[in-house]
Amino acid sequence: MTLGDAVDLALRNLNQAKLRTALTVLGVSIGIASLAGMVSLGLGLQDQFVGRFMKSGMFDAITVMSPQDRPGIMAGGMRGLGAGPRGVARSRLDDDALRKFGALRRVKEVYPNLRVPVELKYQQVTQSYVATGVPMSARSEGAFQTFAYGGFFDNESDNTCLLSLDVAKELEERNPMTLIGKQMTLTRMASSDEARYTVVGIIEREPGPPGLPGATYSAVMIPLAKMREMSAEGRRSYGQATVKVDAPQFTQDVENQIKDMGFMAFSLNDALTGAKRAFMILDIVLTLIGSIALAVSSLGIVNTMVMSILERTREIGIMKAVGGSDGDIRRIFLVEASVIGGIGGIAGVVLGWAIGRAINFGANVYVRSQGGPTGNLFSLPLWLVAVAIAFAFIVSLIAGSYPASRAARLDPIQALRHD
Amino acid sequence: MAPIVETHDLKRHYRMGESTVRALDGVSIAVEQGEFLGLLGPSGSGKSTLLNLIAGLDRATEGALRVFGDDLAQMSSDALSIHRRRTVGIIFQSFNLVSTMSAAENVALPMLFAGVPRPERDRRAHDLLEAMGLGGRERHRPPELSGGEQQRVAIARALANNPHLLLADEPTGNLDSRTSAEILSLLTDLNRREAKTIVMVTHDVGLAHRYAHRAVTLLDGAVVPESAS
Repeated sequence: MTLGDAVDLALRNLNQAKLRTALTVLGVSIGIASLAGMVSLGLGLQDQFVGRFMKSGMFDAITVMSPQDRPGIMAGGMRGLGAGPRGVARSRLDDDALRKFGALRRVKEVYPNLRVPVELKYQQVTQSYVATGVPMSARSEGAFQTFAYGGFFDNESDNTCLLSLDVAKELEERNPMTLIGKQMTLTRMASSDEARYTVVGIIEREPGPPGLPGATYSAVMIPLAKMREMSAEGRRSYGQATVKVDAPQFTQDVENQIKDMGFMAFSLNDALTGAKRAFMILDIVLTLIGSIALAVSSLGIVNTMVMSILERTREIGIMKAVGGSDGDIRRIFLVEASVIGGIGGIAGVVLGWAIGRAINFGANVYVRSQGGPTGNLFSLPLWLVAVAIAFAFIVSLIAGSYPASRAARLDPIQALRHD
Repeated sequence: MAPIVETHDLKRHYRMGESTVRALDGVSIAVEQGEFLGLLGPSGSGKSTLLNLIAGLDRATEGALRVFGDDLAQMSSDALSIHRRRTVGIIFQSFNLVSTMSAAENVALPMLFAGVPRPERDRRAHDLLEAMGLGGRERHRPPELSGGEQQRVAIARALANNPHLLLADEPTGNLDSRTSAEILSLLTDLNRREAKTIVMVTHDVGLAHRYAHRAVTLLDGAVVPESAS
């Protein structure tokens, strides 16, 4: 018997019991929908959180400090956080060192973290703030992903600046938006060289605490090139620098190389690994919950097949009498089960997708009303679609194997006597 | 020429709880090529059991059974299914047609298991039904056909893979006498014109003597000697 004939027979048999077939297929599709939905929720959440963190520019960044300049909390007993190996000469974090970092493999960018206290004059107000230099590459990263008003620097040669929303509110409490396009004077503390800067953007908040690797957010932000000019005088080395790598998986490697050069370095790579592990556990839990429904629906397949074989005992006897082998009979019922599984799998993925979209829509309506950023809670990549359908197929084959071999083993004479 | 079917001291015992039923208890018969043999006997005499053994639907407890020289006792269950598919054609008292399939599909069923491609299956099923006088009835399902018509479909099905040996178990048991005569003359025709060897189980002595070349009578699982029957 060819596979095509087996499929024909199976479809004919399923068609004989439409209601039962439909209910069983529905059962399988609910099982697959719950499994695919749960996995897709896990993936979606992971995309949302890890993706956002990745974009924050914190995980592909390494903060390097010269050993002399390490801040208090880093001093003594914190070797794990990045003190260089013992015996390595203390190295100066100067432009030479930055060039060496830039020459390392997988390093995308190196820039010094320049933080300078400034006096800001706007109309009648004079205030003291910390200003930082922001590299142009920080566009659409971290705090610069979303602007309350305005946008990022157009280029690094104009005298433009960004303000935090808090600063903007101090200057123009009613309507901070009106600051966009206004000029203000910045003076480096304890110096006299003033410069006028035009406000181009206002940033609401930053996603992490200040001082994290790569974070260049502060009260007042100006292009890094301008900051170099402002702070250049008499500087021979930097307190901190940021090394950016091509992708987060290279962070650890580059970090180790920098430590070997005698610098202190740290990144949030370990935190990311932890987060990934947490998401893996979440995925497993969600998959297990989803599997329960599939397990129940596979029992539905067993039940349907056992019923079907009971009803068709005589027919099985006839098929054996006219030359059907045990293998032929088994194949007919296995194909029947896998057709149920295949259709149920496809329907299940569609159902799961639809439910996911509906929940996502509802969740986003709520999130939007709370003023949060919207996104996809469910992620249904193509591989998940394929895996879900294949899984339905395999589960139904396993569920069908017991009834099918029961049918195959029927004694033809007994079966022919059956009414 | 060697007989087509040959049994020697063939036994088939069933266990029924504590007791053993000796359905066949040492039967030795031979069926020659081209013969139309009647297997006679009252119900419970073991004639259907013998037919089922020859058909390969059942296995003997003891003794030898050769069909076309092959020892059925030595066959695997797959080999037995090929025996049923190719070597014999079985006709039952209760027709045993699949009620959800059309007449043509029923006739095509043995060819499906034999791996005959669909167009050829359809053509041969059509030809066989035509030859049985059922032209135009291909699409009817068994419940829409009379008893005689259903038995003709069953005969057509038995012929599907062109076996040399036809085994009929009370083929007219569910039919009236006029239809019975038609079915029996069909079988006689197949025996004479197409040289099919036929073993027919019946409890009707008159029928056996009128149509069969020879009759073997069974009683309590054993052959009744010629002189006594």
